Amino acid sequence: MGSQVKTMKPLNIDDLPTPKVEEWKYTNLGRALPANLAVAEQPEEIVIHKNRGEVCEQPEEIVFTSSDGQHTQPRLRIVLEEGAQLTLIERHDGTGAYWKNMVTEIEVGPNANLQHVRLQNDNNEAVQTNLVHIKTARDAVYNGFSLNMGGKLTRHEIHAEIQGENGEVSFNGINMLNGEQHADTTILIEHQAPHCQSNQFYRTLLDDKSHGVFQGKVHVHQAAQKTDGYQLSNALLLSPDAEMDTKPELEIYADDVKCSHGATTGQLDEDPLFYLRQRGLNEAQARMLLIQAFVDEVIEKVENEPVREDILEATHTWLQTALNS
Amino acid sequence: MINIKDVHAHVETDDGDVEILKGISLDIPAGEVHAIMGPNGSGKSTLSYVLAGREDYEVTKGAIELDGEDLLELEPEERAAAGLFLAFQYPVEIPGVNMSTFLKTSINSIRKQRGEDELDALALLKLMKEKCKDLGISDEMMKRAVNVGFSGGEKKRNEVLQMAMLDPKFAVLDETDSGLDIDALKIVADGVNSMRSPDRSFLVITHYQRLLDYIKPDVVHVMAKGKIVKTGGPELALELEEKGYAEFIEEAA
Repeated sequence: MGSQVKTMKPLNIDDLPTPKVEEWKYTNLGRALPANLAVAEQPEEIVIHKNRGEVCEQPEEIVFTSSDGQHTQPRLRIVLEEGAQLTLIERHDGTGAYWKNMVTEIEVGPNANLQHVRLQNDNNEAVQTNLVHIKTARDAVYNGFSLNMGGKLTRHEIHAEIQGENGEVSFNGINMLNGEQHADTTILIEHQAPHCQSNQFYRTLLDDKSHGVFQGKVHVHQAAQKTDGYQLSNALLLSPDAEMDTKPELEIYADDVKCSHGATTGQLDEDPLFYLRQRGLNEAQARMLLIQAFVDEVIEKVENEPVREDILEATHTWLQTALNS
Repeated sequence: MINIKDVHAHVETDDGDVEILKGISLDIPAGEVHAIMGPNGSGKSTLSYVLAGREDYEVTKGAIELDGEDLLELEPEERAAAGLFLAFQYPVEIPGVNMSTFLKTSINSIRKQRGEDELDALALLKLMKEKCKDLGISDEMMKRAVNVGFSGGEKKRNEVLQMAMLDPKFAVLDETDSGLDIDALKIVADGVNSMRSPDRSFLVITHYQRLLDYIKPDVVHVMAKGKIVKTGGPELALELEEKGYAEFIEEAA
């Protein structure tokens, strides 16, 4: 079947990918890694397993914390059996300079539903690489949301295999970057079964000298007729020194599919700014309202209301700091 | 009320710096409705942007005063607080900002600038409901993002709604009739007419006489090539409708 999904091994410190490799061309990991990393004692794999038909009403939370000088390789495994439902909140933080090199494996069983919210707030000196592998069965729903705010360099790499019919897979995300932060989102979706839907909706805010990367690829196999694939990446530059690299790709071998992609990078439009100022908002208020709206449209994809409110609050705080400095 | 004196304005285009307004003078006393008619490219919309303070237009000469206050010294939001309202020819879509948040932020920003207390949510809701009812605007429309997915008529009604809520001293309506069918035109005109009062003035910019059947102007100006070339009573609009703009453009040349 020619799947491009690679084996799930964490990145190796002795054999780091370089920008010479196509998928790593915008992200130089070796240059960002802190010096003198000590391999921490490896924690056991965290396993979240929900049995057949198990419906979890309350969201579950896990926190990954690292500290200065550590090279940690956390492993997370999430398995939802048939009909299980879960909202999982994954938080990332830490202190000092470290490398959190993580592998996540997710299996969403038939008719199961996983709402996966990832709040990445690693320390601004830290590096995080997170390789995520997702497999979905028939009628499964995976709805992912990632808020990337922290880290000196982060790479969130997702490989999704849609293996069962009539599944729906969504990756939504917001990157809010300032200083010299670098955030790379690389997504590969393999449509292997018919009648499935995939959505990618990412928005990136870039201030100061930050650098954003979005690479999104949809691979529709010959068997995956009636695929509906959607991809949108919008980046808003708040500073003339910020940079965004976007690489949308579609590779389609089925003849009855609907796939679209769009990518924009730019500054705030003058027209809505002027419209709002004519209605009495000062420039700072108008900018704040427009930029908050820009991220709100992604936050709306989070289904759990209290979680959504937390995310709104976090983005609002970030914006107030960014726009008032 | 509003005094526009010998205003010259430039804009930067792909072909370089172009003078669009070439010495516009206009006085609108309190309580009057003036109409400006003119062909495409005569500078009508530029005048509305210059009045509202859009930064792309540079005023190189002249003065604009609203009740004696120098508007050219003010930022767009300060002009709004001073009582100037512009109903846009092309109302801007603002995805992600819903109508009620927008109206609340707008009204309270203006009240704050004027040193007035902010309206609470309840008072705002009441005001909004009342004005929406007058203009036949549904509650559902208030839940949508500003102008997103609105029909042409809904966008223009929305402009009039904002005008009614912000209660300006001087309102500029920039081609508020364009894209409206006759029913929508009547609703919009009724909205404007109900706001006519001895202490409010309007400047109505239009291509067509039709709007002026519903909003009766006190004075009609003809604009061509960046200047007012003729001023008269409402009968001037009828004359224009009949004869077209040709002779006025020649006069301006």
